[in-house]
Amino acid sequence: MSQPARADEIHSPSGSHQQTEAGVARYETAFRHEYKEWAALLQRNAERLAKGSYSLHWLETDGAAWGRRAKPSSRGLTYTDINHVKGYGDLPEMATWKNFAPRGSVREPYAAEMPTLEDYTVLDRGEVWAENVLTLYEEAKARQWNATRDIPWNELEQLPEDLEKATCQLCTFLTEVEFVAGDFPAKWLYRIPQDFLEVKSFLSTQLMDEARHQEVFRKRAIAGGGLLHSSPGFEWALKAILEAPTHTMGTFLLNLLGEGLVLSIFRSGEMIAKTYVDKEIFRRCLQDEARHVSYGVMELKYYLDHHPNRAQALAEMHRFADVGEQVILTAFTEAALVEPVAILLGGGLAKIDQGMEGMARLWSMFIDEYLQRCERAGFPRRERCAIPVNAPWGAA
Amino acid sequence: MAQGGAAAAQESAVPFPSLEWFRRLADLMNANRPRQEQLGYVDCVAQFTVLDGGSNGAPWSAQVTFEEFEASDVRAATAADVARADFSLEATLATWREMIESIARGHGRPDLEHTLNYLSHPGTPMRLVSDDPLRRDLYFRYNQSLQEFVNASGSFRTVFPG
Repeated sequence: MSQPARADEIHSPSGSHQQTEAGVARYETAFRHEYKEWAALLQRNAERLAKGSYSLHWLETDGAAWGRRAKPSSRGLTYTDINHVKGYGDLPEMATWKNFAPRGSVREPYAAEMPTLEDYTVLDRGEVWAENVLTLYEEAKARQWNATRDIPWNELEQLPEDLEKATCQLCTFLTEVEFVAGDFPAKWLYRIPQDFLEVKSFLSTQLMDEARHQEVFRKRAIAGGGLLHSSPGFEWALKAILEAPTHTMGTFLLNLLGEGLVLSIFRSGEMIAKTYVDKEIFRRCLQDEARHVSYGVMELKYYLDHHPNRAQALAEMHRFADVGEQVILTAFTEAALVEPVAILLGGGLAKIDQGMEGMARLWSMFIDEYLQRCERAGFPRRERCAIPVNAPWGAA
Repeated sequence: MAQGGAAAAQESAVPFPSLEWFRRLADLMNANRPRQEQLGYVDCVAQFTVLDGGSNGAPWSAQVTFEEFEASDVRAATAADVARADFSLEATLATWREMIESIARGHGRPDLEHTLNYLSHPGTPMRLVSDDPLRRDLYFRYNQSLQEFVNASGSFRTVFPG
């Protein structure tokens, strides 16, 4: 039996040679025979250059917002600052430019010659926008941290075996779940057109945040003993997020519900941390997670507030949440999550019962916070929530 | 982490709870801008309430306004000022004292059981209060900065009533 290739030994792109060959053939056909515009542009450019003539049409400012210079604020030059300049901050309710032409540039005269990218499908501003997205983007950039350097790794202490294994299992869970919070925005990022560039920018920071979280928990586990068990319940919850039918629905499930619960786990993680290293990891991560939660709340609010038929939008969101909450509950009742947290909370395997009692008290608080966030978004779930307000194993 | 040392120790002790105590923290934060730039923006109004810290055991509160990399304002707060704060952290004097003493013992770092999050997460002995979940979440978004803000108390001596 052949050995699996190491990641650094893989040189060819994914897929078989036949698939690659077929892909190249399709690409050739498209760009040689189907798309005529670029060849005409190249011909025109070649002729211009051959003649030694210049085209200075780009000096014309008709149709441009030229000359209205953006002024930096005390923080530097933010998106908010440049969006205050007339001609640049007007976001369409429905994007029509399905290419890379920057919002605010002179682009109309060239529309007929430009390509159309059918992958840009999220054209409704209501599906992506949140009133706090500019603030969150600036904050995300300002509050980045480095999982290699900013954690005092050399202070990591060896814990008793039960606590170390519980910590490593919690880190395995977090390593498993964190990247869906990267894959989900990644899945939608390239479907969002350039006119919503601020949202694309914020989602890019979320990707970076999630990469760092996956990194830091993987490092913590491997530095402390190793990764332990992945879990099917986690996987189904992650699949439910990734396969959400719309960006808003997935953002609700990921950012508002899922990350809201993970934020609670991070806060619990900081509380039950047995080393300064773990304290620092969880405190850093909970800050990032809270930004994602805030986007989720305000994105849902914008969607509902601007939907042409709010009742219909609410009904669809409820139908989605009825399923989504149950699938997410699968993850949050898994033994590979609940039991290790209970052991950490109780202070050891022998005290797991006390830990479960403590978790029961926290559970109600987590769910209440989730329901409050739903209400803040204008999405009342209290009467319909599929997640029990009290822990399924009974309150203390 | 707050820088202390012999010079700071020689300074006069600062009473807690008092505006002077919070202003000292603000001054220390503002004097260490490079660290704040590492941690990132903080934009919120945080209220610190000592439930029995006022006269005759009444509540006493200070509001600290954080803007960008600075603590720009420290003021006393009455019940009428509550709405101005994004969130409040409420605890008894005994809890605050325990936390501050832990930070002092750790020379600017509390032990594992006296971080802000440790004390506030279960809702007791410290309580995080806000009537708006988005404003409450600011406490989480800036948690590291807020922790380092109080950690700076390790660089001077605090005295308590009684």
